[in-house]
Amino acid sequence: MSPIPRDRGVFVGMMGLEDDARVDFKRLRAERRAKVLSGMESHDLDALMLGGVGDVRYVSGARQLGRSGVLPFAPVAVVVRKTARVHLLSTWDEGVPPEVGRDDLYRMSWNPANLAADLAKIPGLSDTRRMGTDGLTPMFAGLIAELVTKADLVDAAPVMATARRTKTPDELICLDVASAIAEAALSAMEDALAPGVTERELLGIYDQRIAALGAPMPPSESVCFATPSSGPVRFRHLTSDRPIGDGELVVLAPGALYAGYEANLARTRVAGTGRDAGDLASRCVRGMDALIAACRPGNTGADLYRAWETAGNPDPEVLLAHGLGLGAEPPLIGFGRGRDAVLEDGMVLSVQSWVIEEGVGGCLERGTVLVESTGPTSLTRYGRL
Amino acid sequence: MRTERFARLQQQLETQGVDGLVLLGSSSVAYATGAAVPAQDGDRAALFRPVAVVVKGDSAPHLYTLYVDGAPEDLPDDHLHGPVFPDLDDGIDSFAKALADHFPSGARVGVDDQTHAMLRGLPPFDWVDASDVVGAAKITKTPDEIACIRNAQRLNEFAMTDALAILRPGVRQIDLSAAFLRRVFELGASANGIDPIWQVMAPTRELGPWTLHGDLAYPTVTTDRFLREGDVIWVDSGITWEGYASDYGRTWTTGAAPNARQESQFRRWRAVVDAALDVLKPGVSGRQLGAAAIDANDGVRPWIDHFYLAHGVGTESAEMPLIGTDLGEEFDERLIMRPGMVLVLEPVIWDEGFAGYRSEDIVAVTDTGWIKLSGSTYEPYGLSA
Repeated sequence: MSPIPRDRGVFVGMMGLEDDARVDFKRLRAERRAKVLSGMESHDLDALMLGGVGDVRYVSGARQLGRSGVLPFAPVAVVVRKTARVHLLSTWDEGVPPEVGRDDLYRMSWNPANLAADLAKIPGLSDTRRMGTDGLTPMFAGLIAELVTKADLVDAAPVMATARRTKTPDELICLDVASAIAEAALSAMEDALAPGVTERELLGIYDQRIAALGAPMPPSESVCFATPSSGPVRFRHLTSDRPIGDGELVVLAPGALYAGYEANLARTRVAGTGRDAGDLASRCVRGMDALIAACRPGNTGADLYRAWETAGNPDPEVLLAHGLGLGAEPPLIGFGRGRDAVLEDGMVLSVQSWVIEEGVGGCLERGTVLVESTGPTSLTRYGRL
Repeated sequence: MRTERFARLQQQLETQGVDGLVLLGSSSVAYATGAAVPAQDGDRAALFRPVAVVVKGDSAPHLYTLYVDGAPEDLPDDHLHGPVFPDLDDGIDSFAKALADHFPSGARVGVDDQTHAMLRGLPPFDWVDASDVVGAAKITKTPDEIACIRNAQRLNEFAMTDALAILRPGVRQIDLSAAFLRRVFELGASANGIDPIWQVMAPTRELGPWTLHGDLAYPTVTTDRFLREGDVIWVDSGITWEGYASDYGRTWTTGAAPNARQESQFRRWRAVVDAALDVLKPGVSGRQLGAAAIDANDGVRPWIDHFYLAHGVGTESAEMPLIGTDLGEEFDERLIMRPGMVLVLEPVIWDEGFAGYRSEDIVAVTDTGWIKLSGSTYEPYGLSA
């Protein structure tokens, strides 16, 4: 194949192809690692000790067991600048890419003292001066100082968040594939949507579809909610068992992870044969178009707030946008936050427009948007409202 | 249940001389508040995490959450607050102000996880690890908590019958995930906790993944691997119901039913669990349980080096009491069984050359012995035991 295929669509699949015409994971990992090492250099960090799922994946490229929820900080990966090696908490080598050698692995321990003793053996770690971490606990702060290194423990975010903020071409392919998986899930949910089906059943259909496609851990199980056609309308996050009523506006909002990269989208559909969403749908689309148009390099979060208000909307009750990559990432624009966040060429955002009208219901459109100097590109491709 | 849990936390704060708790980890927040949160992948779960604050002497926890629809109905209005986003510097002052309202400066406050934004932006309390307080409260369960675990387990087991029903040569690991996840949500699971595991066990250690300790690698991550005639599969999954985790473990065979050798592995597994259960009652130490299990396996430790004979389950899928870990024999000696403790017994019978058998039995310790919380069928092995 020529170095740059004219039809990028050839990348958007999940089978290994014999001509390697899919995402180049080796190059993806190498570029991520180079960004991290160069960030350590410019921020004068001798080592990183990381526990966040996305940070660990970013530096190691390891395929580790997916679990939901957030665990307190623990040292799952260590990067040493002097040796340019990445060390990983993994008792076995399955799921570990070849550049992380067997010598670079350390054991899973239930005893924090054993874990600290293993960390202390990592070459070059004990005499570091400045080490970045992506969190701490009082216990680990003590153990690290006592048993591992006397280094100053500082924030790893200037290195990690900076490296992760803008995407490499291979990362963008992963996001394209994740978008396609999420769209497949939305198709399946839309097929099943009818009066009488419950949100929990739709969640089951969603999970079945992404699992069968090879991406069984969802970024979020908050994937659908019916909105009431009378009384106050609120954005809901938790799945209910109430059967969806005829004519209700139903938000379908699936996401998907491919190689850890998250894309998501939302569309709102009418269950059954009831009314159409009419004016509310147009308002939702107008808000979405305004937000997407504001996703330009150099713009700030404040520009998104302004675009939202100029489109005739009140204070947003939910987020307007947040970063996407290995899961959800900063910036977070909404809830009064993120006005100063600067959008950069190569960032990917989840952008959403949520509008409500009592007596009609609520309408959500969400999409995955790439910020580029030539203008915003929607990675989401799906019929709108 | 929420009232009783909160009383236990208050009692531990009093006993341990701690003025309060700031909790960020998913399972601790669930324990302290009863708040529901949609299951989310690591970095998304972190960025949008709810925070629980427990003040000594207070009558209810404070909950800072984006997921208002997941807040318990009986939480007083003045204890329910908007989200604080503890991972971001942007807005950390509102978190700092909230904590300053709850605690005087210099207060001794337990915390389970600290972001750098918190380390920079929060008042200088005397931070201590929250795990002593939370761990002591959680280690025994109330009857309501045990009922939640039993129900989570029941849903998990029912859904597994759908996955086992489709297992035949040519089915992929992810197809089993798809069938299981669809069904478990239809049955009413609140959330999935872990990417379901369907690990094919090689007949010898040598033919399995390389490990640091030379023992078995388990669990490895699900892929689109085809399951083929004769494959021995160690299944593991966990869902939650009302915040409580299930833990399903079984061994399945692909194609042919288990042969005589495999059935004898299963009988040995049963004998090991029965030996531990024969001695299990209040007052018995973890070390005595481990010794009984080792005796029943002819002196060979019947569990994997990096795991345990048994672990607890609750708002975490694996929590105290842990028996047989690298915390050591003295730890196990001091770990005395008490009514209300829940044990997931998961010994492994390894038959080098012929793979092995692993299942999980869940029991709760009663005043006089134990009751079983997990089901008593082990298909496709001996129908009941």
